[in-house]
Amino acid sequence: MPIISLSNTYLERLCGTDKKAILSVLPKIGSDIERIEDNHIDTEFFPNRPDLYSTEGVARAIRGYLGTETGEEIYTITDSGITFSLDENIRTIRPYFGTAVIRDINFDNDAILSLMGLQEALHWVLGRGRKKVSIGVHNFDSVTPPFFYHAVSPDTSFVPLDMDEEITMREILEIHPKGRDYAHIVSHLEKFPIITDAHDQVLSFPPIINGELTKVTEETKNLLLDVTGTDQRAVILALNILCTSLISAGGRCEGVRVDDVFMPDLSPSVRSVSVAECNALLGLSLTPKDMVVALEKMRFGAEHNPECEERVLVRVPCYRADIMHDWDIFEDVGIGYGLDTIPASLPHVATIGVEHPIMRALSRVRMACAGLGYIEVMPFTLTNTRILFDAMQRPHHPGTLSILHPIREEQSVFRTDILPSLLDLFRINKRRELPQRLFSTGDVVLHEVTLQKVALASTHPGADFSEMYAVIASLCHELGIAYTVQEGSDPAFIPGRAADIVHTDTGTVIGQFGEIHPDVLRAFDIDQPVAAVELTLSGVLYPLEEAL
Amino acid sequence: MMSPMRYELSLNEKRLLAALAELPNEQHDPVDLGNKLSSPPESVIQYANLLSSKGLCTIERIVSISVVRTEEGELYARYGLPERQLYNSFDTSIEMNQLNRHPLARIGIGWMRRLGWITIQDGVITKTDAPPSDLEQGLLRLHEHLNLSEHFKRRLIKRGLIQEIETISYKIHISPDGQNLAAQGLDLREELGTLTSEQIISGSWKELPLRKYDVTKPPKRIFPGKIHPYQQLIDEMRHILLSMGFTELHGDVIQSAFWNFDALFQPQDHPAREMQDTFHLAGSRSPPDGWEQVRDIHEHGGQTSSTGWGGHWDPEVSKGLVLRTHTTCLSVQTLAKNRVPPQKAFCIGRVYRREAIDPTHTPEFEQLEGIVMDEGLTFGHLMGYLREFYTRMGFESVRFRPAYFPYTEPSVEPEVYVEGLGWVELGGAGVFREEVTAPWGVSCPVLAWGLGVSRVAMLRMNLRDLRELYQSDIDWVKSYPLISTGGL
Repeated sequence: MPIISLSNTYLERLCGTDKKAILSVLPKIGSDIERIEDNHIDTEFFPNRPDLYSTEGVARAIRGYLGTETGEEIYTITDSGITFSLDENIRTIRPYFGTAVIRDINFDNDAILSLMGLQEALHWVLGRGRKKVSIGVHNFDSVTPPFFYHAVSPDTSFVPLDMDEEITMREILEIHPKGRDYAHIVSHLEKFPIITDAHDQVLSFPPIINGELTKVTEETKNLLLDVTGTDQRAVILALNILCTSLISAGGRCEGVRVDDVFMPDLSPSVRSVSVAECNALLGLSLTPKDMVVALEKMRFGAEHNPECEERVLVRVPCYRADIMHDWDIFEDVGIGYGLDTIPASLPHVATIGVEHPIMRALSRVRMACAGLGYIEVMPFTLTNTRILFDAMQRPHHPGTLSILHPIREEQSVFRTDILPSLLDLFRINKRRELPQRLFSTGDVVLHEVTLQKVALASTHPGADFSEMYAVIASLCHELGIAYTVQEGSDPAFIPGRAADIVHTDTGTVIGQFGEIHPDVLRAFDIDQPVAAVELTLSGVLYPLEEAL
Repeated sequence: MMSPMRYELSLNEKRLLAALAELPNEQHDPVDLGNKLSSPPESVIQYANLLSSKGLCTIERIVSISVVRTEEGELYARYGLPERQLYNSFDTSIEMNQLNRHPLARIGIGWMRRLGWITIQDGVITKTDAPPSDLEQGLLRLHEHLNLSEHFKRRLIKRGLIQEIETISYKIHISPDGQNLAAQGLDLREELGTLTSEQIISGSWKELPLRKYDVTKPPKRIFPGKIHPYQQLIDEMRHILLSMGFTELHGDVIQSAFWNFDALFQPQDHPAREMQDTFHLAGSRSPPDGWEQVRDIHEHGGQTSSTGWGGHWDPEVSKGLVLRTHTTCLSVQTLAKNRVPPQKAFCIGRVYRREAIDPTHTPEFEQLEGIVMDEGLTFGHLMGYLREFYTRMGFESVRFRPAYFPYTEPSVEPEVYVEGLGWVELGGAGVFREEVTAPWGVSCPVLAWGLGVSRVAMLRMNLRDLRELYQSDIDWVKSYPLISTGGL
C-alpha cells in the first residue's frame, strides 16, 4: 500500500476543522496512520479506495464523516471544444485513452504536492507500475489543439522533461532516469506511443515521460490531462479520480471530444439496494432514512425510493472503483453508521468442535517426546539442498520441491526431512550447555505431497546408538507403532551404528536412527557426538489421505 | 544459656572443633591439625572458615616473604658466576677471539670488565686481580644471610639469580563460644547422606545422625523436556476454538492458484499473485469441477448482483502451483465440500510469503483462520466472535477499523489495546463475499477471520525478533516458564 502524505494546513483548510478532529476520524474511514509530524500526516489507505490517495479526496471523506458536507458532489462539465484523435496504429499498443481540461487551478505548493502524490500512487495501485495505466499532466497553455495520440518510430526525437536538448525516444529509454525505470513496458515495441499537438509538438511519450514543453509550475493555471493504458476500466477510473480531485482543489473541468466520445463522464452510477438485506448483513435494524443518512455521510447520493418501501436508491460517485456488489454499499452503510457502534453478539450456532486427527496425533507425539526429556524446536520448513543432502551425505531426493524464484539460496526448497534442521540448531546452540536434546515435528513435502515426520537428536559426549534405540523403543511403544529394526545404510550415520525402522503393518522402512557420521557433524560444525532418529508419521499414525 | 541447637555443624566441623578444644590456649597450624584429623590442610582451612563464620574459632592469616635461588641462581651457586667460570678458564692472558668461543663469553666478559678483573688491549684480555665479588658471596651464602639489604636483594633479583616467594600460613585458635560448645559434648559419629533400604526397614535410621542440609543454598538447575512455548500458545488457541465448537482443519501446503487466489475472488492481475509476493512452484493442477462458476463470477459476476472484475479469466493461470499464502484456501475448500449449515471450522497452519527475513518478517509464519456458516448470521455476530476470542486470549479492549480484503465484504481489521504500545492491529476479518460462496452453492452468510499467530506470540512473549521462534536459542526455550504462555 502506498503511503500518502497529507499536509496539515492544506488538509485543515479543505476539511474546515483542526488536526485533532481529523486524527480521530481517519481510522474510522479505514486509514492506517503511519506517522504524525508537525506539518504533515503519513497515512495508508487500502487499495480498493484509490480516491483517498490525494489530500482533496481524504478531505472530501472527512467532511462527509464529520457531517459538515454530506451526500454526493455534483460535477458540472462544460465543453472545451477541444478534440483529440486516436490513430489506428495505437489500438494494438496502448489502446485506452482518457483526457480532460482543468481550468483556473490555483496551484500552490500543497496542491502540486498532493497531485504528484496522487499521480504516483495511481501509477502503482491502478497502473501496476504504469503498465496498465499512466498519467500525464500538462500545462495546457503551452500547446495548441487539436491533439493526436498515435505511435511513431523510436527515432522520433523531442526534449523530455528535465532535459534541455532533443533526444530520440530510443535514447530516452537509455539515458533518462524515468526512461530506464520504465523501458521494459515499451522496449519490445516497433513503434512507441506519443501525444502531439496541432504543430507536431510532443506533449508526452506515454507511459515514460512528458515533454519539457508542457512542464507544470506554480504559475500554471490551466491543465490538460492524459491517461493511457491497457485496461479501459482502470483508465477511466484514474481519469475520474484525477478530475474530481482537481475540482476539489478549485479547478473547473472542461470536456474533450476524443474521436466521437465526450469525456470525462463524472456522473454517478445508480444501484437500488434492499434495506432488509443490508440489515441482515450488518445485524442492524436501520430504517430507510437511517440508511440514507449513513450513505450520505460516506458521500453517496442516496434517497428512499417512495414507490418501494423496502429499497434505497444509491448514486455511486464516479471515483469509487470498489462498488461491484450491493454488499459493498452495505459496508459503507456500516462504516457511516460506525463499525464500533454495531452491537456485537454471539449467535447460537450449535456445533461440536473436533480436533483434526493429524493435529491430535502430532500433539501426542509432542507429549511423548517432551516426556522423554526432549525440547521442542520449530525451525523453518524452507531450507536448501546443501543442508538437506550435501551436509548429510545423502543423495538429492528426486521428489524435492523447489521454489521457482527464491529470495535467497538458503531458503530455496521445502524440507524433505526435519533432522538436518535439528543439526543446524545444534550448530546455532554450540556454546550452550550439554547435553542438548531436541525434537521437532511437522510438515515435509515429497513428490508434491505434504507429509508429517518427527525427528529427535541428542548431543553430549556419551550420545550413542543405544541411547537412541531406547528412545525409539519408548516412543514407538507410546505411539502404538509396531516395528522391527534392521541394519541401516543411511550415509548420514556411522556404518555399523545405523538402523532402519521397519513398520510391521506395512513392511516399509519408516525411519532411520543411529550415530551421526563424524563427517556430517563437521559439515554442521558440531564438535560432539550426536545420536538421532527421524520417523515418518503419515501412513503410520494415521492414513495418508487424512489431509484435506 | 546458649542452646547447642543454634549451631548446625557438619561432622568435619565438629571433629575440628574437638581437636581445637583439646589445647584451647594454643595457636594451631593447619598442617598439624590435618595430620591429627587425617585431612589435607586445605580442607582444615575450609572447615575452620565455616567454624569461624559461626564465631566458634578465629583464623589468623600470616603472609611471609622468603627469598630463594632461581634455577639459574642454583646453577651458579654450584659452579660459580659466569664471570668467575670464565676468569678461571684461562691463564694470565688470552686473545679476545679465542675467549669469545667460550659459551659464557657473552655474559662473562662484560661482568669481568665491570668488576675490574681484566684489561683489554689490542684484542688481548689480561687478568688483573679477581677478589670475590659481593654478588658471588651473597648468592653462595644466601641461606646464612636472610637479612640481605633491600638494595642488594634487588640486584640479585634483577640478575635473575634469586626470587621472592610469598607463603601464607594460618594460625587457628578456638573462641570462647567454641570452647563452650565443645564443653557441652560433640556427637562425633559418622553422618549419613542417604538412607539405605536396610536402615529404613530395620528402623536403625532412628539411631543414626542424618546430615542436615543448608536449605538456603540454591539447587543445581534442571530443565524438563518441553513443548516449545510458541507451540504451547498455538495449542492454547486451538483449545479456545475447539471449546467454542469449531472443527479443526489441516491441509496441503501446496495449493493451486485456483484455490489460493481465484476461488477467493482475487483478480488474476492482483499484485499479491505476482512472483514478488508469492512462492510459485513448478507443475500444475487442474481446477475442480465447478470452476466455470468461478470464471463467470470473475468475468461478470455470474448469477449474483456483482459486476465481477470484467475482462477475461484465464483457466491456465489458475492451474499454477504456489505455497499457500494463507489458510483461507483451506476454508473455502471446506465450504465447497460442506455447504449444509451450520459449519464452524478453524485452522492454524504455516503460510508462506515471499519476504526477506528480518526481525519482524519471516517468509513463513503461522496463521489462524476461523469460519462460521449459518442462516441468519450478521456482521455483528462476527464482531461477537472476535471479541470473545480476543478476550479469551487476554486482550480486553478490542476495536474495529474498516479494511479491505478481496474476499470479504464488509471487511475489518480488529485492533487490540496493549499497554505501552497502544492499538495494535491483530488480523483481518469479514463476511465472505457472495462472489466467494455462490460458486459452491453456499447461500447463507459465512463469517471469516484470520490472525497472525506470530504477532500474538511477540506480544505475549515480549519478543523483539520473530526469528527467535524459529531459530531458537535453546537456553531461552529451556528457561521460558510454562505459565507465561498459559494465559492470565
